[in-house]
Amino acid sequence: MKKLPLGKRLKQGVIKRIKGIGLFFKRVWSHKQGKIGLTVVAILVFVAVFAPYIAPFDPYDVADRTLKGLPPSRTHLLGTTINTGQDIFSMLIYGTRVSLIVGVTSGISIAIVGSILGVMAGYIGGAVDSLIMRIVDVMLVIPTLPLVIVLTNVFGRDYWIIIIIFVALGWTGLSRTIRSLVLVLKNSNYVKAAELAGASRWHIMIRHILPGTSHLLIMSTALSSAGIMVAEAGLSFLGLGDPTAISWGKMLADAQGGGALLFGAWWWIFAPGVGIFLAVFSFMRIGIVMEEIMNPRMKQTSSVYKVFKNLNSRYIEEVFISMDDHQKIGVDTTKTVEES
Amino acid sequence: MKKSYVIKRILYSIFVFGIVMTLNFFIPRIGVEDPAERYYPPQGNMSDIEYEIIKQVTRQQYGFDVSTWQQYLNYLTGLMEGNLGTSFRSGSPAVTDLIVDRLPWTLVLSVSTLLIGLIAGILFGVIAAMKRGRWQDTTLLNASTIMVALPGFFIALILSFYLGFEFEIFPAYTDPNMVSNFDWSLSAIQTVAENAALPVLSMAVGSIIGYAQGTRNAVIAVTNEDFILTAKAKGLKQNTIRYKHTLRNSMLPIVTSLGMSISGLIGGQVVIEQIFNWNGMGTLFLEANNMNDYPLMMGIMLLLSGFTILAILITDLIYVLLDPRVTVGDKR
Repeated sequence: MKKLPLGKRLKQGVIKRIKGIGLFFKRVWSHKQGKIGLTVVAILVFVAVFAPYIAPFDPYDVADRTLKGLPPSRTHLLGTTINTGQDIFSMLIYGTRVSLIVGVTSGISIAIVGSILGVMAGYIGGAVDSLIMRIVDVMLVIPTLPLVIVLTNVFGRDYWIIIIIFVALGWTGLSRTIRSLVLVLKNSNYVKAAELAGASRWHIMIRHILPGTSHLLIMSTALSSAGIMVAEAGLSFLGLGDPTAISWGKMLADAQGGGALLFGAWWWIFAPGVGIFLAVFSFMRIGIVMEEIMNPRMKQTSSVYKVFKNLNSRYIEEVFISMDDHQKIGVDTTKTVEES
Repeated sequence: MKKSYVIKRILYSIFVFGIVMTLNFFIPRIGVEDPAERYYPPQGNMSDIEYEIIKQVTRQQYGFDVSTWQQYLNYLTGLMEGNLGTSFRSGSPAVTDLIVDRLPWTLVLSVSTLLIGLIAGILFGVIAAMKRGRWQDTTLLNASTIMVALPGFFIALILSFYLGFEFEIFPAYTDPNMVSNFDWSLSAIQTVAENAALPVLSMAVGSIIGYAQGTRNAVIAVTNEDFILTAKAKGLKQNTIRYKHTLRNSMLPIVTSLGMSISGLIGGQVVIEQIFNWNGMGTLFLEANNMNDYPLMMGIMLLLSGFTILAILITDLIYVLLDPRVTVGDKR
């Protein structure tokens, strides 16, 4: 076969990828839930990018003391804070940036790290497999939020450090799922054919096995972005996020500490809460639609996958894992039968 | 067959715990040459000599003046005796004592949340599965769709706002005298129940809906299995099929997810305890974090990880007991 020059191959590759991304949006858009998810995400991205132009007031402005604790009105759409008189609508808009950047960056990085380690564990097997899976087992038993708190105490609280910590702790569930998928793909005919044709391990992993997991990766990116937005909000809520930026979690913490509960400032609590809800909800919708596209069987009632569909996000990965455990028990018992 | 699996499973849990122990020892020592610097971070207004003296004292006080490996060995032997180290707090109390004081209060919350979540969740789930497609089912579906995207601490704030402040049904903050006045009298228990109501409620809402949706889906998945059809064809009674075949098999995914959800429950509880000022391990952990009290933080982490390992081990073993395929195979 004649090899095309590098420039042309790159161009073809790029076109193929763009077509793939277009196809992805089309497929998600064709579901009602996907439409909701994509629309909300698009609005959030727009708000985050153009925050300074949309926000009517400076969210950091605490100078004007006459504005304290105003309920929602035409000038202050979502009212102002009780203790500092900041405009909550503007704070809400700036908070979108933190949630989206931390959530999406960590989600994508988790997909990259998780897929690399999962494919390696599944395809290479042996010592690599057991090493990676033992790490996963250990990370699963350490409670995540306390561990994140300890690590931010050790390494600092900048957002990029928080993202790295989330990625370092978040890849485990995904890589376990990918591994079990790779174990299936490994025995497929096209991989066998590539092996017989003398393709190298890396070539097979990157060109033949990784593409087979792509749907799972997109789904996991959406779901783990959503999960990490909640986790980041929780961290900021405890006052352990980046202290310099405005985030939704920090707004809630300020509301609790600033007496919103005591003085009945419901707008101060609901605004950031609804922000978190919308962001998490929309990403989750996209993830769930991807899941449906991936397992069309799920739509029918008799599928085991139905079990996972609307479980709490925290449990989604865990149920996959428990499925894995289930298989493991099966393997273990058969092995012991053979031995005895 | 079952016995060897059980033994293997227990040994593996011990192995995982060993690694967690080691991690617990080394995480505070990342990035600093001297653990004393963690206890006493360098401050601007202090001369080098003063700082050196303070570090020297700290090292001797907490046993950091020997080599790292010796420290590790001391740490392991301490753990064997149930000694988690000395807290950096004033008066140098033992970490174990601090934790033991708070542990029951944390368990009150988590055990009641778990029980309420499981009982109500399974009940609602079974109802929804039986009334499939009717309003009970759709309500559950909509509730869980919304619930998955709501963070627990937001629910807690809303509940505290309405039930605690607006309508004053339950106390929004835990009574600070609750712990010191507790004497097992009926009124003391009632006070605890009142104060625990909001924290438990805010954690339970999520887990009830989560378990309900899980149960509902599992029951429906099992109802469509072939062996249920066989049971019907054999002419078994409706109730026998419902309880002995459907329910038993649909409990399997719930049981396995239970062990894993313990870890999430523990993590979420840190935030909830903080919101309601509950005197448990979560607030203890945050206090420790604010004071850079690493021995205390790592002690709590080790305990929580230990709980999770135990919970996963137990649910795995229950799984073996519950799974008819495994038990029936054993009887033969």
